[in-house]
Amino acid sequence: MTISPDDDFAAAEYALGTLDPSERATLAARRLREPELDEAIRSWEARLAPLAEAAPEIEPPRDLWPAIEARIRGASPDAPGNGTIVELERSIRRWRAMAIAASVLAGVLAIGFVAREATRQSAPREYVAILQKDAASPAFAVTVNLDKQELTVRPVAAQAPPGKSYELWIIDAKLGAPRSLGVIGDTPRGASLSAYDPAVVAGATYAVTVEPPGGSPDGKPSGTPVFVGKLIPVSP
Amino acid sequence: MTIRGGAPGGRAPTGAGDDLSNLLSRIATRDASAFAALYKQTNAKLYGVVARILTRGDAAADALQEVYVRIWEKAGEFDPLKGSPLAWMATIARNRALDEVRRVRPVSLEDQPEGFEPAAEEIDPLAARERSEGLSALVDCLKALDEEKRAIVLLAYYRGSSREALAKRFGRPVPTIKTWLHRSLAQLRDCLAS
Repeated sequence: MTISPDDDFAAAEYALGTLDPSERATLAARRLREPELDEAIRSWEARLAPLAEAAPEIEPPRDLWPAIEARIRGASPDAPGNGTIVELERSIRRWRAMAIAASVLAGVLAIGFVAREATRQSAPREYVAILQKDAASPAFAVTVNLDKQELTVRPVAAQAPPGKSYELWIIDAKLGAPRSLGVIGDTPRGASLSAYDPAVVAGATYAVTVEPPGGSPDGKPSGTPVFVGKLIPVSP
Repeated sequence: MTIRGGAPGGRAPTGAGDDLSNLLSRIATRDASAFAALYKQTNAKLYGVVARILTRGDAAADALQEVYVRIWEKAGEFDPLKGSPLAWMATIARNRALDEVRRVRPVSLEDQPEGFEPAAEEIDPLAARERSEGLSALVDCLKALDEEKRAIVLLAYYRGSSREALAKRFGRPVPTIKTWLHRSLAQLRDCLAS
């Protein structure tokens, strides 16, 4: 092993889980570029993993299986061991770790949503949008991953005016009026996009408006968007 | 569902992990019935891992869903030479739960509602009656730690306790906890290697 003792401690604490959020995110990003560090983390995980045997079982909610089954049906029927898939998974892993790392720098809002059945296998699965005020000042980065069924909003250089909230909207002709995706800065776990067709999710315009604290009172944007952008596919 | 010939070959399953190993190789070929069987056998175990770290029920359920999707995607990467199937799955589960609980967010998941504690009992692997070879070796090494230091490692593992939470619980400054963790982990590493 060629990593420093400090890095090995960091790897150990990563595996144990005691790193604080920024340390954890930093290490998650580093391990993607540093195979020795990655290996050290895996070794520590392997050392500690037998402890899980002793953890007593707890019954999960009964409705969980149908949700999982729907997820794998939507995302999977493809050849196993396919090189492109492996590459794509690597890029997803890298993207996710970077998103986690960025979340620490900027604070992040993740809206988990259940996208409908995935679109065609060949269609791009990851999308990104930069919601800009003008060309020189990116403000929010929106990342959508249809496979992971996740939408992440990352404020790059934006702070809501005092006493106001930023709210994210999805806008598409097929949807009629803009639909709220939640207030940025809250944890709107209840926000579900299950009603949206992945094709709409991929093709829609995303916009941020300034709203009263907690978001628009009537479910409609209170003013014109301050940041707007469209998703573009991220090539694997 | 298509069953293709790409199942990882050459694996000679051994020991108690037999069934799960076989299921994982079938899952790697996109065998949905194997996945259903694996879920049935392991969901309470993995929920036990996740729900002690993410004590908010909805967060734990969301995390478990992600864990199984990941197992479905990654089954082909399972290597029986590097550990048991359950250890592999539990590592995925813990990592997912830890990523969630250690994410910077406006409302901390650690601010759990009062009185919600899915499993308040402390887990003592030293008292486990049935132990794999791996757990036996680890338990022997854990026994060599002071009681307090052992408790800290176990709380971090099973509860996902942060250094701050451990400092509060044991009435010690955070740097002390960090030093203890480093010493304990180094001791475990050396003990396991011997």
